[in-house]
Amino acid sequence: MTRLGRFLLTSAMGGLMTTAAFAQGAMTDVGTPRSETLIVQTFDGRSANPSAQNPLNSYAIWRGFRELGWGYLWEMDTATGKSYPEMADGFPEVLNDAHTQFRIKIRPGILWSDGVEFTTDDIIYSLDTAFKYREQLTNVASVTVYLKSYKKIDDYTFEVETVNPSYDLTTRLGVYTWGTPFNWVPKHIFEAQGDQVVRFQNAPPVTLGPYKVKEFDPNGFWQLWELREDWQKSSWGNLGTPKPKFILYKDFGAEETRALAFVQNQYDVDTFMSPDSIDAAKARNPKVETFSATFPYHDMNDACSYGVYINQQRAPYDMPEVRWALALSLDLSQIGISAMSGQFKAAALPLPDTPITGPIFYEANLQALKGLTIGDGYKPFDAEFSTQLVETLKAQGIDPSLLPTGDAIRSGFGAGWWKHDPAEAEKLLGSVGIKKSADGFYALPDGSPWVIEFVIPGDWNKVLQRLGFSIADSWRQAGFNVNARQVDNGEYTTVQNTNSRNELQINWSNTCVYNSNWLGNWNQFRESNIKPADSTDPLSGNYARITDQQVLDLVAEGAALPLDDPKFVQNGQEIAMRIASEMQIINLMNIPTTIPTNSTYWTNFPKQNNFYAAPYTWWSSFKQTVVNIEPTGQQ
Amino acid sequence: MGVVSFVAKRIGLYLAVLFIGLTITFMLPRLMPINPVDGYIGQIQSRANGTLTAEAIAELRVNLEQLYGLKGDVFTQYVSYLKRIVLSFDFGPSFTYYPQPVSAMILNALPWTLGLLLTSTVIAWLLGNLVGLVAGYFHKQKAASLLEFVGILLYPIPYYILAVTMLLLLAYIFPVFPLSATFPVGQMTPEKFGMVIYNSLLPGITLVLAGFGWNILSMKALTVATTEEPYVTYARLKGTSNWTRMTRYVFRNALLPQVTALALSLGMVFNGALLTEMIFSYPGIGLVMRTAANGGDYNVLYGAITISIIAVATAGLVIDLLYPLLDPRIRHK
Repeated sequence: MTRLGRFLLTSAMGGLMTTAAFAQGAMTDVGTPRSETLIVQTFDGRSANPSAQNPLNSYAIWRGFRELGWGYLWEMDTATGKSYPEMADGFPEVLNDAHTQFRIKIRPGILWSDGVEFTTDDIIYSLDTAFKYREQLTNVASVTVYLKSYKKIDDYTFEVETVNPSYDLTTRLGVYTWGTPFNWVPKHIFEAQGDQVVRFQNAPPVTLGPYKVKEFDPNGFWQLWELREDWQKSSWGNLGTPKPKFILYKDFGAEETRALAFVQNQYDVDTFMSPDSIDAAKARNPKVETFSATFPYHDMNDACSYGVYINQQRAPYDMPEVRWALALSLDLSQIGISAMSGQFKAAALPLPDTPITGPIFYEANLQALKGLTIGDGYKPFDAEFSTQLVETLKAQGIDPSLLPTGDAIRSGFGAGWWKHDPAEAEKLLGSVGIKKSADGFYALPDGSPWVIEFVIPGDWNKVLQRLGFSIADSWRQAGFNVNARQVDNGEYTTVQNTNSRNELQINWSNTCVYNSNWLGNWNQFRESNIKPADSTDPLSGNYARITDQQVLDLVAEGAALPLDDPKFVQNGQEIAMRIASEMQIINLMNIPTTIPTNSTYWTNFPKQNNFYAAPYTWWSSFKQTVVNIEPTGQQ
Repeated sequence: MGVVSFVAKRIGLYLAVLFIGLTITFMLPRLMPINPVDGYIGQIQSRANGTLTAEAIAELRVNLEQLYGLKGDVFTQYVSYLKRIVLSFDFGPSFTYYPQPVSAMILNALPWTLGLLLTSTVIAWLLGNLVGLVAGYFHKQKAASLLEFVGILLYPIPYYILAVTMLLLLAYIFPVFPLSATFPVGQMTPEKFGMVIYNSLLPGITLVLAGFGWNILSMKALTVATTEEPYVTYARLKGTSNWTRMTRYVFRNALLPQVTALALSLGMVFNGALLTEMIFSYPGIGLVMRTAANGGDYNVLYGAITISIIAVATAGLVIDLLYPLLDPRIRHK
């Protein structure tokens, strides 16, 4: 008994000492020097299956693989939206006029983390395996339906033929925004698995990036990466010198716990954190910083935007007057202030308004937006939206020094949005026979009650949840009887995918356009992705239910054009304007991503005024962060 | 009723409960407005930046339905499900984390949940009953009221508030424990085992405090009622000591309902795991179930809920079989 007591006491003391050491910043609790370890909150929290590290099946994608471990033929510079070769030796050579055959060269001298050279044998094996086991592997469909054939030319050259003309090969076999849908695997490891490759866990993996997995928690809370000694021979060893010797991805738990841990300098970069928590953390630790020093504090450069998706195939939403009435009844300024403390960037077109997409889509369409008329000549666009928002925020007591001025207002809060005009909305509804009944709510043309079912996420996405409730309030005030139904992630996807279940939903699925290449996302607007209004069969895309023939034609035409063809870009601009002018998606705002950082141990993170990369730790652009940050010397 | 008949009846009831439980477990996820195949495709599509074509998704859908065992009508799936569970306790692969077997996921998580929740439930029960006994037996004394006050104070505090308060107090203001524990990996050594114990202390203490209050109050009420029983008065008149009356006359009799409560709460530890595991970043079955429910992962839900049903039903069976040994009145009947 005495021995047991002594053992427990020793263990407890050991634990206390370790914690004390950790609190002092000397060592992390995974045994690495804190000053050499970059610690990152995992994007999606704990991984439920941490040992699933085979990229041919689902794998632990959020904890460093695509950022630190894998290598791509072509990467994306997320500051400019331009592709650049990573493992490829230049861009693909086009071999035929149909633009379906390509020759690709890879850089010699790239080594896997176990020292074996990466060659076209790995590429051919990866493709062979994907095609051979396409019915059993769950993460290979993107390539098996894209490629028609492929062959090795030599150890550093291979050729592929695509099923359809392909002008976006570098983003389909490389990176468009945050990673690639298909990863190369090491032949010398996977081939030995034989048919069992379909169940191979691949943990810990042999990787291509400068970092390799040192240890991971079988319970899924953390994964530790260590810089390879031969990192210069890795897939992106030519990008620069990775500064941290170790990178720890860890889930610090609920937001309350994370905020406290952040104040205690236990980690360096967060993901999404509510403005309230950030304010509390900043007040207690001056090293905690948001993305921007002025309002709105968030990073707004995500590839997607938030919007209300309308099932236009169902009455009464098949009438543009109804959709416009819903848009004009939204007081977006008030919604953004109540749901997000005013920290948002309005986006009227069905895509985000970023430094990359702004000039291509927003500036090109600005005059058209200003001149747009609906109904009997009403002009719905409010180009002064952002200026008015700044005035409202000032009136509500926000320190003017924290608010942007001049041109910064447009870059901060957007180019404008739709007017808040419930009277015009009532007029539009009246024109199609929809009038308010005795209870004060609008009724359908036949006089029956009109209850809108509006699906919003439960607390698995707090920002959308808050926005959803605020939108429902705004509609109710305008006379719409709205049932805001919050659902779990699984049901959310089912509602998104099933016509018969969907009426209105807050969503981001069809607004992910990152640069002039709109094809990746809007290519879903095709006849084959349209099902009947009452269908219970799942959709395979086009969750916005775009049935407008004009849009479908523009997409089909664009799919056969080179990405740098002016007509291709023009088609994208026209699609955006057509969706907006018919109000097929009530687009709301860029996705606000807070990305607070703590500069106690590391500094020079990407910020608004130092924008060398998108600041997300869960995009492969994190590579840029890793080579650009600097240690502060804090021990 | 003979012993054999008594035992057979209880075991028959036990098996019936399991059968009904398994059937409901099979049906419930299918009544949920979630399609796991769609959910997975949604994830893949999201990772692929929406670049998966309709053909790719259609191909993926066919493959996934085959792999997940979702082909065929519901009855065929039900028969196959029962066969697999009864004959080999096989819940198949996780949908969300294919091809990971569900049994492996549950086996990895279960020791953590059981270790923390069983220990803390038993400690809370023991402490609560001891304090409740003293508070009840000496309920006319002011000092005893203080003990009862502890129960009254703790019992109504919502678990979430209590847990966050404990975190704030003992991990932030007085950083005795880690805010977000990191459990050691690799082969277990005495030092690593010590770290596991140490990292489990804060959630453990919180669970004890949360369960403690109810045990104090219920035991106190039972003790007060029992002290007024004629046999206790008779013992007092016979001149027995306070200690003897409290332990041999009051405690033993007041304990019977508490034993039932303990057995049931042991069977219900799965249900208590979720909040603890979320707040304290503690690994266990609760987080596995939460992920499964979110993603419509039928197989993981089957596995976790089935084990929960078996645990609760088995606890009920054990109580039924043990009660005659503890309570002579039931034995007599």
